[in-house]
Amino acid sequence: MEKTRNNILRITLSILGALVFFFPIYTVAIGGFKTNGQLLADPFGLPNPFTSEAYRVVLLSGSQFWGFLFNSVVISGFTILLTLAASMLAATGLSRIEFKGRGFLFNFFIMGMLFPITVAVLPLYLQLRGFGLIGTRLGVILSQAAFSLPLAIFIFTGFFREVPKDLQDAVSIDGGGLLTFAWRVLLPLSTPVISTVTIITLIQSWNQFLLPLLVLDDASTFTIPLGVMQFQGQYTTGWNRIMAFISIALLPMAMLYIFLQKYVVAGLTAGAVKG
Amino acid sequence: MKTNTLTKPGTYKTLALLLLLIGPAFLLFLLFVVMPVVQAGYYSLFNWNGIGPLTKFRGLQNFGLIFQDQVFHTALINNLKIVAISLFIQLPMAFGLALLLGRNKFRGEAFLRSIFFFPYILAEIVTGIIWRFIYHPQFGVPTILSKLFTENGGEIGLLGDPSLAFGAILVVIVWKYLGFHMIIYIAGLQSVPKELEDAAVVDGANKIQVIRHVIIPSMKSSFIISIFLSIIGSFNIFDVVWALGQGGPVHSTETLVTYLYNFGFRRFSFGYGSAVAVTLFGICFVFNLFYQRFIVSEGRHGKN
Repeated sequence: MEKTRNNILRITLSILGALVFFFPIYTVAIGGFKTNGQLLADPFGLPNPFTSEAYRVVLLSGSQFWGFLFNSVVISGFTILLTLAASMLAATGLSRIEFKGRGFLFNFFIMGMLFPITVAVLPLYLQLRGFGLIGTRLGVILSQAAFSLPLAIFIFTGFFREVPKDLQDAVSIDGGGLLTFAWRVLLPLSTPVISTVTIITLIQSWNQFLLPLLVLDDASTFTIPLGVMQFQGQYTTGWNRIMAFISIALLPMAMLYIFLQKYVVAGLTAGAVKG
Repeated sequence: MKTNTLTKPGTYKTLALLLLLIGPAFLLFLLFVVMPVVQAGYYSLFNWNGIGPLTKFRGLQNFGLIFQDQVFHTALINNLKIVAISLFIQLPMAFGLALLLGRNKFRGEAFLRSIFFFPYILAEIVTGIIWRFIYHPQFGVPTILSKLFTENGGEIGLLGDPSLAFGAILVVIVWKYLGFHMIIYIAGLQSVPKELEDAAVVDGANKIQVIRHVIIPSMKSSFIISIFLSIIGSFNIFDVVWALGQGGPVHSTETLVTYLYNFGFRRFSFGYGSAVAVTLFGICFVFNLFYQRFIVSEGRHGKN
């Protein structure tokens, strides 16, 4: 008896909390389907009638949404590729070759986990300017990849260390060197770790704001977070359009989360294991 | 365990291989992480507008100026407030939620967990814009509530009021990051040995005692991680604060990174801005040393 009462209390409490928590998202999700007048008169009620005018403006005219999306995909995509390639190579070296200074080098990379990109953004800006990378997508890609490396190297090195010696010996007997071993054995074995690193890097790079804000100076190179900010500035009072824009902008990440929920959570908790 | 190798150490071939493997990551890391930080240390000693040669050497004067600046004090205190709210409100709430939703006691837990976690995957900037609407003085929630519950309730503009704005931002921060810490704790809860819990119950421990003496000690590493991420994250918060008011009104919501941005970039005082960056580095570095030395090592070598 007491158990059911406890459970009812537990469920009621969680549902109430969840409702409060969901409220801002709900507001956005329905806001884009209202006219602006209706949104301001009745901000939290259901749309009556439903209208897709705001979505048409965002998707078909009056916004550069598709351009922003393209830039986000390109920047996140190359950031992930570069992070994966560089960190997997480095982790192969750090985990399977014995050399003087290996521990030092590993710690040197890992130290980078301490400093989020936010802390370093001013000096980074100056450095990028020195390289002539201000205003380029490449500048964002290289910096984001560099800051994603420490965690990626940490995760891959830990994983590669655990791969048994026997497997490496087998490759060696067939006449294969370390690179063959990395390509034939380490790479295929790493699928779960690769998805972890990919998800962490993707979420960070997709949502990154400060760095692209400083590096990218032209709207044609803007990513979605910058685009949202610009669109919001453009339609200060057109809240229904802003809500429609936000709804579409958060769709890719929401879908990723829904389909890859298990991996996202695994990835983030793995990513949390630092320090 | 000794790591096996296919290559003999010390040969040119090994060296070439190492260069090929580690070189790209090393170069990337050196050019875009390490060098900028070292350069910031150098720039911080000059009065420099970011253009032209570094000629006006000022030594440590920039640092003196920072510490005398009232706005910097506000920023630092605001960051400390975020740390306090995170540690004393957000983390206990996240732990409570984990106890509520992490043990598969009823159907629909997974769904409710997703709702609490969802804000975490939103871009910070989007979060800020959403809450600007929720807080809107004309039709936002505070205004609606005040009209509903008070006789002569009028418009309430939380974000426009220097004495209320930062509190309003703190609410958003908790909303955004609570779910992430909940997930860390749920992962930790799964590592608590069930037998230990049952044994305590058999010994007559009540629920609170089980949580206090069995669950919390077994989850020590989860707490260490989430406290660490909370504090480092609190010092580096930018996007949410920026989207909700760019550090204003009248600098009341300034944090260290908005301060860095406002004073470094907007006023083109790169020497001064670099000094702010170095200070921020210093704070994170000292905190981390302290944390590694006293908390993490105790967690690893202590009685657990």
